[in-house]
Amino acid sequence: MSAAVHTSTAVKRMRTSIFRVPSRRESSVTMTNHPTFSPSVRTPWPLVAIGATLLASTGCGRTEPASFRLNMVAATKTTAPLSGLKEPWAGWSEDRQRQVATILEAMFGTPDRPEVVPETGLDQGKLRLAAGPVHSDIVGRKNGLYREHCVHCHGITGDGMGPTAAFLNPYPRDYRPGKFKFKSTWRDAKPTHADLVKVLNDGIAGSSMPSFALLSPPQVDALAEYVKYLSIRGETELALFSYIEQELEADATLSEDRGFLIDEILTPVVEKWAAVEEEDAQIPIADLPAGVDFALGPTAPGNRESIELGRKLFHGTGGCVKCHGVTALGDGQANDYDDWNKAIVETGKEIAGSLTQTKEASTGQMSAEDRATHRAKLEWLSAMERVLEGDALTPRPIPPRNLRLGIYRGGRRPLDIYRRLYTGINGAPMPGVGPSGPGGKGTVPSEDIWHMVNYVLSLPYDFDGELGVDRPMVAKDRF
Amino acid sequence: MNAASMLAMIVGLLALSGCGQARTRAPRADSGAAERLRATLVSASPSAASAGTEAVVTGTGWGTLTGRFIYAGTPGDPQALVVDKDLEVCGKGGMKLLDRALLVDPSSKGVANVVVFARKTARVKNPVPDVPLVFDQKNCEFLTPVFAARVGQPVDVRNSDPIGHNTNIAGSSFNQLIPAAGSTIYKATAETGVPTMVTCNIHPWMKAYAVFRKDGYVAVTAADGTFTIPDLPAGEPIEFQVWHERSGGLGLSRPDLKWSGKGRFTVTLEDGQIRDLGTLEVPAGALGS
Repeated sequence: MSAAVHTSTAVKRMRTSIFRVPSRRESSVTMTNHPTFSPSVRTPWPLVAIGATLLASTGCGRTEPASFRLNMVAATKTTAPLSGLKEPWAGWSEDRQRQVATILEAMFGTPDRPEVVPETGLDQGKLRLAAGPVHSDIVGRKNGLYREHCVHCHGITGDGMGPTAAFLNPYPRDYRPGKFKFKSTWRDAKPTHADLVKVLNDGIAGSSMPSFALLSPPQVDALAEYVKYLSIRGETELALFSYIEQELEADATLSEDRGFLIDEILTPVVEKWAAVEEEDAQIPIADLPAGVDFALGPTAPGNRESIELGRKLFHGTGGCVKCHGVTALGDGQANDYDDWNKAIVETGKEIAGSLTQTKEASTGQMSAEDRATHRAKLEWLSAMERVLEGDALTPRPIPPRNLRLGIYRGGRRPLDIYRRLYTGINGAPMPGVGPSGPGGKGTVPSEDIWHMVNYVLSLPYDFDGELGVDRPMVAKDRF
Repeated sequence: MNAASMLAMIVGLLALSGCGQARTRAPRADSGAAERLRATLVSASPSAASAGTEAVVTGTGWGTLTGRFIYAGTPGDPQALVVDKDLEVCGKGGMKLLDRALLVDPSSKGVANVVVFARKTARVKNPVPDVPLVFDQKNCEFLTPVFAARVGQPVDVRNSDPIGHNTNIAGSSFNQLIPAAGSTIYKATAETGVPTMVTCNIHPWMKAYAVFRKDGYVAVTAADGTFTIPDLPAGEPIEFQVWHERSGGLGLSRPDLKWSGKGRFTVTLEDGQIRDLGTLEVPAGALGS
């Protein structure tokens, strides 16, 4: 049978099978008495064939070598039309964006071949192990670890927008701003290499981040280095775009001098990563108060007393109830965003407001020059709207943690909880009760933070009558 | 399975199989140019040549810059903020908190809370003061909507409310819980290029801006729109940045000062000079309504 004949038969069958609505009698008979196909509901195999062909033809096409994607939200936002702009906005901004992409490739290479300038301080060998497609190298070692284990959530650029990302809650981390939550350092400082390794080994409880403890230590080490690589690359990109926004006039181009790119742009980024490997970069850990011994459990007399002190701090000076709620179910202040989502929310509001304002400002009496400026601004604003829609995940609020569940994202050791309370959580609304930097003064004396730790760790097992319940208070009691 | 649902399924699968989400086209690197640029970045000897050889142009003595921002238009009434928490304190006696983004003095038309600062100067006259600058909050409102301090200067972050607040200075390490009637000291460690937002996450309507500068050449306009920056180094061209919450960089039409769309102008002062920029008229459209 020729293809043409096949197709015309298929079309005929489609006509007879699809466009005929089965009568009520027919369908009820089919459903109840005869589990065989009646003519009207016969599987239209030719249609399936057409469908399959169509499906195949919509495939992604050629495979291009992997490439990093520009941070389009930053790229578009920072290339707003400037006064004195003579050419059309779209081409002008694209030229600037392409130059940034080229500079980044010169400094960092591509996802298949990460080649970094020495000033990044990154280990090229480790990066090679983590980068590129999955393959065995000349000595039989597996390469391409990032693409095997991480890319489907965190994305090739480390933007937290891999194919799986939209379905996860919380969203995967976007490394590009270089901001991390679970670490041993001061709030706005970078995590240490060991902090990143810890997250890789332990995973993040209560999120989709699994543990990679089954990988060998050198493999985990290589992945931690690659995360740093994507962060430093992303931060350098942001620094370049912020320079374009702050410093460049309409007719100027970005300098490609070594002195500018390395000393002015890259070095300040890298210095922050180097600083946390110094000895005093980690927050100090206070001695345990007398009587507190976490190994003895919450019923030991010393711990009982400590839990009571912690409870007072939780409801009083510590201010925890403001967000986590008096029940500790996380039902206090709950409509806030983390920094990553907030940036999108705020920009969205700004752009929407500006768009309305700009449209209103349009009048028939504009001079030709004003009209050109006006048009460029509208063009930019609608580009911004498109980018916020297509290049960012839909922002989600961050609810305060339900502390009755016994799930601690940054780790469940008392030390982990101590660190979360001391500095708060970087990037999240969670404030700290410790000092904001070395030599500062905290809201709660460092030693007393251990009492709060003790109380927080007791909450999932809290049987007492404080809330008027005789069993653990769980989320379903509330919602 | 009937044909209609089959069709629906196929259409559904077709839709799902699309590769591209609606992502915008991102410009790609020019690999040849990147290769050439990498060669210059890697081969060049450490860039000693570019650092510190620029001759510093400055003079001797000190001058003062002053001026007044007025609003060319009639601002709308400030909107009431949505206050939905801790009403016994934040909405005491039916008090309504208002959006303070645009404050215009009805009689003088002066615009408050415009920030003016020097972007870079070769010389600095005064050392960083040890006296703490008080940044207080009361009735669930920051008492200073915009404040300026020097890097390293102690800022006494206070809470005069009977309830706890947290003070979160964006882009810094400071996000601390300030208990009822409590206070803590913060010292900025880095400059802010533009004023940074200060919020309270417990009471999301609370908002202020902070600007930290190393040299302290920064002023925030008073209720009548006036500002004064004293002790500026004379004899060097100083570029100033002007900022307002509504506009970011505030562009004005002042060709004599080469005032740019980014809100910048350059002035060179003479020793002992008090340079008055006069009345700086902010067009109504620039700050919204």
